[in-house]
Amino acid sequence: MASMDIRVGDTARAVSPAALQRSGSQTILAVLTGLAALASFAIIFLMLFFLIAYAYPAIRFNGIEFFTSGIWNIGNQYGSGTMTRNGFSAQPGASFGALVFIFGTLLTGALTMVVAVPLSLMVALSLVYTVPKRLRPIANALVELMAGVPSVVYGLWGMVVLVPWIGEKLAPWVTAHLGFVPFLGGSAGSGNGLAASVFILSLMVIPIMVATTRDVMLAQSNSLFEASMALGSTSWQAMTRAVLPSVRSGVVASVLLAFGRALGETMAVLMVCGAAINSYPENIFSPVNTIAAVIVSQLESALTDASGMAQRSLAELACALFVITLIINVVARGIMRGADRREGRAA
Amino acid sequence: MIVTNPDQTSASTAATKLEARDLNIYYGKFHAIKNANLSVPQNCVMALIGPSGCGKSTFIRALNRMHDLTPDARVEGSVLLDGENIYAGGIDPVTIRHRIGMVFQRPNPFPKTIFENVVYGPKIHGERNKKKLLEICEKSLRGAALWDEVKDRLDRSALDLSGGQQQRLCIARCLAVDPEVILMDEPASALDPIATSKVEDLIDELKKEYTVVIVTHSMQQAARISDFTTFFLMGELIETGTTSSIFTKPKDKRTEDYITGRYG
Ligand SMILES: Nc1ncnc2c1ncn2[C@@H]1O[C@H](COP(=O)(O)OP(=O)(O)O)[C@@H](O)[C@H]1O
Ligand SMILES: [Mg+2]
Repeated sequence: MASMDIRVGDTARAVSPAALQRSGSQTILAVLTGLAALASFAIIFLMLFFLIAYAYPAIRFNGIEFFTSGIWNIGNQYGSGTMTRNGFSAQPGASFGALVFIFGTLLTGALTMVVAVPLSLMVALSLVYTVPKRLRPIANALVELMAGVPSVVYGLWGMVVLVPWIGEKLAPWVTAHLGFVPFLGGSAGSGNGLAASVFILSLMVIPIMVATTRDVMLAQSNSLFEASMALGSTSWQAMTRAVLPSVRSGVVASVLLAFGRALGETMAVLMVCGAAINSYPENIFSPVNTIAAVIVSQLESALTDASGMAQRSLAELACALFVITLIINVVARGIMRGADRREGRAA
Repeated sequence: MIVTNPDQTSASTAATKLEARDLNIYYGKFHAIKNANLSVPQNCVMALIGPSGCGKSTFIRALNRMHDLTPDARVEGSVLLDGENIYAGGIDPVTIRHRIGMVFQRPNPFPKTIFENVVYGPKIHGERNKKKLLEICEKSLRGAALWDEVKDRLDRSALDLSGGQQQRLCIARCLAVDPEVILMDEPASALDPIATSKVEDLIDELKKEYTVVIVTHSMQQAARISDFTTFFLMGELIETGTTSSIFTKPKDKRTEDYITGRYG
């Protein structure tokens, strides 16, 4: 939705006064797209508003504990009485600490970026500068195709192929032979966990990041690459010293967008993460959980909470995720626009 | 259809710096340069003229192996630098481009400071000494007649310079790697007349130390700045000779038609 308003802005800039006079249909188009942009803003705002309103009892009940505790327990539904804090009540023994999920979300997201950013940059650079022109349409089609695969398909593949392989082959071998390295030793686990999540998320964000960074590099054209080559640089030097610094902000923005995507990804992660509750990962094979995944996996049990506080706490989780990704998106798009202006594109 | 010009024999007292032999260039199946032969004497300015699309850029980019960067381009034949074929096996194109610099049609400074732009090449080639780099920077900017205009703001972005200054910066950047030959592909076509005349004066200076090959879309410019002129038409090298002979007594009818303005 946010991307729509960007495109609208560009159209508006591209329409010259003369063109406006020439055709009324242009004006109608401008008005319609303007309305659509406004509507998308309004929808985001309303969604956030209702989400917060729904989560309000949980926000009051949980207080700061929501961010400081790692214990998620909906309480005893057969227990007697209720537990009341700040005027809102939950089942006895309830505790809604989100730290495990917040930590898991940021950890899987960050590790995914560590894996995906260098790979994506290399693929994008070679797509722009070294892959023969004949093969580019094929390579580009492959990238678009990978970006378009529904996440549940990646998740299913992870579940039936990747997870068993990690659980039976990779993790036992690594923990046995490389166990002395921090975070590689200890329990090998079932294969569901951090490593599988990061692998699947990387598969999903790499095509997105390749496509966006490739477009930034294409917009900047060949000229800096050629300028560097004509000064007697190697193509590696031209890419790392001339091209990358000139597209730095565009790359940062696309990395942030991909980061936001990784944080919010639900199905694929849910299918391979091991759904950790009340425990932090011990090594790279340990089960983890993310905010998005836990909302889905805990929904059913939350519905058994007669006080409704478990559902409202899940909504509070959703708010947290919403705010995190919104901030990341806004920052990314701000950087991108600024970069366009500074580097003289699209203006 | 290559006419050898007797004038060249008289000029061949200067050693041949760069020579294209039986050069054929293809983009996929398209034959863009057809069997071109040309020699460029040392410390001279050679202008390449011809209507748009005739292959001037294609030809000049073959002279420092820039076509290696175009995946669809294929070059056949040889280009001799001091008698040595730059397309021979075992020759590293990177060292060739170190010796044969290039300035492009559109000024393309890096989005870095003026200083970093000029010393980009020396740094790439391993020069780390700050004092040495400052010396190179000043010498190159003086060589490109830009020093006086930018000496107080070397740490400002190159993108803040005017188009003409940017192009002279690109020339300075090229001089900083101390090449033997400088190739220029319509270096003034994106510039206003005043900036153009500055660049033209500069080219006249450059030939004292370097050998210059320049593509130009303007015959007046070729006449003003070059010692030799070569005329291309539809991928063929039609005629080459001293600039005065090409403009006053062309041997080929097609050259004459072009000079007298019968093609674009
Ligand atoms: N990368 C390329 N791929 C295919 N054809 C090209 C390419 N570059 C140039 N050409 C073609 O080669 C011919 C010569 O182009 P060029 O050398 O740019 O001409 P000039 O510089 O004289 O205007 C033109 O017909 C042009 O369309
Ligand atoms: Mg050209």
